[in-house]
Amino acid sequence: MPVLSLEAGREIARLCGVAARDVDECALRQGVWPERHLRNHAACTVVEQLRLLTACAAVVGLGGLGGHVLELLARAGVGHIRACDGDRFEATNLNRQLLSTEDGLGGSKAEAARNRLARINSSVEADVRDVFLDEAGMRELLHGADLAVDCLGGLAQRKALQDAARDVGIPLVTAAMAGLTAFVATVLPGAAGPADFLGGAGQPSGEDILGTPPESVAVAAAFQGAECLRLLRGRTSALDGRMLVVDLRSMAFETLSLG
Amino acid sequence: MHISVRCFAQLVTNQPENPEHFPVADGETVGRVMERLGLPETEVKLIFVNGVKAGTGTVLRDGDRLGLFPAVGGG
Repeated sequence: MPVLSLEAGREIARLCGVAARDVDECALRQGVWPERHLRNHAACTVVEQLRLLTACAAVVGLGGLGGHVLELLARAGVGHIRACDGDRFEATNLNRQLLSTEDGLGGSKAEAARNRLARINSSVEADVRDVFLDEAGMRELLHGADLAVDCLGGLAQRKALQDAARDVGIPLVTAAMAGLTAFVATVLPGAAGPADFLGGAGQPSGEDILGTPPESVAVAAAFQGAECLRLLRGRTSALDGRMLVVDLRSMAFETLSLG
Repeated sequence: MHISVRCFAQLVTNQPENPEHFPVADGETVGRVMERLGLPETEVKLIFVNGVKAGTGTVLRDGDRLGLFPAVGGG
């Protein structure tokens, strides 16, 4: 299998005065694996890897789910990542949020995400915004993207995001958790999704009672990331109209139909 | 006849002692089972019977698997 080493790719980019991602794209088009993606090769064809590099994912929320999902998308090789969160880190985030650190408390989640992406994969073209978006802002963020990823915390904004993805005409991969229960679902444009049933703000929600332990967030984000990558590689959804429910108390997994 | 009952997340406190062998009467609905479990309709956001979304009026049959899912939004 022909491979382009990380160092050689950087050197070509420097000599030709182009971005690292352009070199990666050129290599993949010729069937050459950039070294950083070599361990993806059995899970992903070279054509699918190229699709990831040219794809754009829009991640809303950079807390527990968002930090892990962003990490997976960048390491898998998604070439264009938009993300937003206007929040600042608090000590209660440290139990589960990958982007949170003791020395980053009080700092911007968007800035931490931007820095993390640059350190993980310089081939990612990142557009990370330090802002809380309303539905119009969500539509603007999602416009032109291939996929919306719901990494919001709480129920208040989830319906607005599902509607924004519908209006823009792109699939939404959503996830949420409370205690040791988590779910992941895919909502194709116009289809019913969890946000249609779970209610919005102004009601007690599971996470207020059961908390948000790290293993539930990580497992939800891993399944969410897997479904995102599946779609961005050009494969069909595994969770269209369905919810994968994970119960870590009994280590049980179940796929439930919303149709 | 009997069904299995699974109460997810915060509804676990309403899970019956015999969740794999919960007795129901002939013609009993999901709504009636929720009443017996002390679960108001406002707390149950999604109902699944045999893995497919159902309603409070769904009549249960022997061997059915009932799943009750509440509001969950953490991230």
